[in-house]
Amino acid sequence: MQPVKLCAFLVTIDLLIKSEGWELTNISTPIIEFKNVGLSYGDDEVLKNIDLELEAGKFYTLLGPSGSGKTTILNLISGQLTVTHGDILFEGNIINDVPVEKRHMNTVFQDYGLFPNMTVFENVAFGPSIKGMSKKDIKTKVTEMLTLVKLNQYADREITELSGGQRQRVAIARALANDPEVLLLDEPLSALDYKLRKEMQYELREIQQRLGITFVFVTHDQEEALAMSDWIFVMNDGVIQQNGSPEDIYDEPINHFVADFIGESNILDGIMKTDYLVHFTGKDFENVDAGMRPNERVEIVLRPEDLDLTAIENGKLIVTIADQSFRGDYYEITAIDDDGNEWQVQATNKSKIDERVGLTFDPEDIHIMRFNESENDFDARLESYEGEEDAEK
Amino acid sequence: MFKKKKHSTHEEHISLIKLFGQADSVTKTSYLIMGSANFANKQFLKGLVFLILEISWLAWLFTVGLKAYHNMFTLGTHAQGLVYDKSLGISILQAGDNSMLLLLWGMLSVIITVLFIWLYRINLQSARHIWELKQEGVKLPTLREDLASLLDEKMHITLMAVPMTGVLFFTILPLIYMIAIAFTSYDHNHLPPKNLFEWVGLTNFGNVISGQMAHTFFPVLAWTLIWAVAATVSSFFFGVILAMMINAKGIKGKKFFRTIFILTMAIPAFISLLIMNNMFADGGLVNTLLINSGLTKTNLPFFTNPLFAKFTIIIVNLWIGIPATMLVTTGILQNQSEDQIEAAQIDGANKFQIFKSITFPQIVFVMAPSLIQQFIGNVNNFNVIYLLTGGGPANSNYYGAGSTDLLITWLYNLTLNTADYNLASVIGILIFILSAVFSLIAYKKVSNSGMEV
Repeated sequence: MQPVKLCAFLVTIDLLIKSEGWELTNISTPIIEFKNVGLSYGDDEVLKNIDLELEAGKFYTLLGPSGSGKTTILNLISGQLTVTHGDILFEGNIINDVPVEKRHMNTVFQDYGLFPNMTVFENVAFGPSIKGMSKKDIKTKVTEMLTLVKLNQYADREITELSGGQRQRVAIARALANDPEVLLLDEPLSALDYKLRKEMQYELREIQQRLGITFVFVTHDQEEALAMSDWIFVMNDGVIQQNGSPEDIYDEPINHFVADFIGESNILDGIMKTDYLVHFTGKDFENVDAGMRPNERVEIVLRPEDLDLTAIENGKLIVTIADQSFRGDYYEITAIDDDGNEWQVQATNKSKIDERVGLTFDPEDIHIMRFNESENDFDARLESYEGEEDAEK
Repeated sequence: MFKKKKHSTHEEHISLIKLFGQADSVTKTSYLIMGSANFANKQFLKGLVFLILEISWLAWLFTVGLKAYHNMFTLGTHAQGLVYDKSLGISILQAGDNSMLLLLWGMLSVIITVLFIWLYRINLQSARHIWELKQEGVKLPTLREDLASLLDEKMHITLMAVPMTGVLFFTILPLIYMIAIAFTSYDHNHLPPKNLFEWVGLTNFGNVISGQMAHTFFPVLAWTLIWAVAATVSSFFFGVILAMMINAKGIKGKKFFRTIFILTMAIPAFISLLIMNNMFADGGLVNTLLINSGLTKTNLPFFTNPLFAKFTIIIVNLWIGIPATMLVTTGILQNQSEDQIEAAQIDGANKFQIFKSITFPQIVFVMAPSLIQQFIGNVNNFNVIYLLTGGGPANSNYYGAGSTDLLITWLYNLTLNTADYNLASVIGILIFILSAVFSLIAYKKVSNSGMEV
């Protein structure tokens, strides 16, 4: 391409971008970025060298058990805690020392954090009125927010007259009334009952998509995380164990912790004899993983729903049914193979205790986890498989 | 078994008046001769008790009762005085009627008759019960069963009998007696047994509200209300501020400060007040220190100038009032969810706005019932005034009261110093009305606000 033509091409692109109102910065700059962030209380290292990037307009979830550091990350983002080392960036600017009220963020607390001396309306109007908004604008804003959370009929109610679910909605409306660019939610649904939680999961997702702002959601409930998120960070011991889309994390857990924490798993020790051949429970099985050292010790993950019970002659393994419990849409069966390994199986049909049956699975259901594999190596390995698949096609 | 159950739930009785028209002759006789229905149905002991009660009441009525009633209306006709004794040939002092005792006996007679009417109703109810059981064809309970029920389903009657009797004679009787005095001329000119006093209707109330006593009553009432509001509000306000200061982040020795202030609660209030009384007296510690240090040349009139004395009282009362508020407020502050404060901070509220809009309203809400109590308590705060100033300095415009006297201390003076029992009683009734009306309105308002924390 000749230089002149190249220039003309670039100018055209530039014009196109400007006329469409695209902002290149939003595409390239994450709304929130952690660079090597750590937090310690004395010798107690709560967070260890966290790096993460959040894109604007997505639903992120920090998932992990109690004490994993997920709420700490949330409090660092909101400004209630300050980093021991590292930088937190908001739209490319370091905000380590920016006070909470100037961060364009708001928080929905687990215990709602509502003011019991005010009505629903006054609660939602609190932020806007502090900011000096006119009465008319406040009314419009509050009505809009209460409509969004479907509580417009409840404006004059006292907080104490509301149910837990309704209180949580008010808390969400109050946070959103401040027009945050990032909404932080600290286990907001954990105090609600199962059915209400399901309903609120759906509604939160809907609100996030309608407003198009970034949500950072903290939970210990893996089901909740899988159902709602665009992207999940799985945390343990102050370290991000794995991050990825819900599908990635469920299908390809990076290590024992993630496999165990997300969903039900059968985790066994095994040896990767060669590419595409793995050895466990004394037998060799075909699989779809490659790129490891010959005879490398690995861990095998098999999800209960990927396993099927069949006739003995069709089984890859032979197991004895030890226990079963009815779970509504399936039977959860505990079976024991001849090596004494315990297998969790989800089966549609009822079995007989002590019956010997065959256990079968497909090669692609076998997921291999290497010991101490870093997230980057893990990602690279997964990408290499995808490359191969593309090549095959 | 089912029949019995049906009967026990049988709550809607026929009225006692209708019963008279419908019932059999034995039941009707019970209206005149108590216990006859019980006798006719072989409940002899029960019937006997009713009969004896009726006879004793009638006997009492005709020997003592009627006379007592008559005396209650006249409150005595013969005053104590000298009467000429023909046999001795000189005048001798003859005891007259004692109005006070006649009034008391009269009140007692009223109570006895009320009790009798109550027993008469029980007698009729018992007759009705028998009649109803017979209509349904159920076996009548024996005396043994009746007595057993007093330890079982009617246990409340057994348990309450003694306390109720005590309340009747030691609370209700004195109360009606005191109220009755407000309508008599029982004052320093009419002291029994020397003089008789009589019923005067609402004269005393008129005297207090628009008569001679109004010149004392209204200024004292005004000061009482000013004092109660000032004492309650100042203790609350400074107590809250103190609690906030001690609770603030970065204050060291929180426990030490709390303990120090609570210590003042551990010292009986009357001791503190007596010490203060000494300290602020004309030749007292404070004045001596002030003069010795050269700040003032003469004694400050802490208790001798009316206005100065009022301020002194309110300030000294803080000493006693603040720790209590501080203690409760500390509890509220420590219970307030941290989330609320954080949420408000994130919304951009500064510390003052958080206090004004969130913390303070919640403190007021929790404290409201206790503030009402404190207010009423201060209206009737006898200790502080009596021990600190004794009502002084004297005020020649007032009758029986000093410049700092509250209604309650004035009442005390009226009974113990000037012996105007009728006025004292009027004041007591007015204080009661004031406190009751205020409490009712205030509690109603508080419970209507609907917030539970």
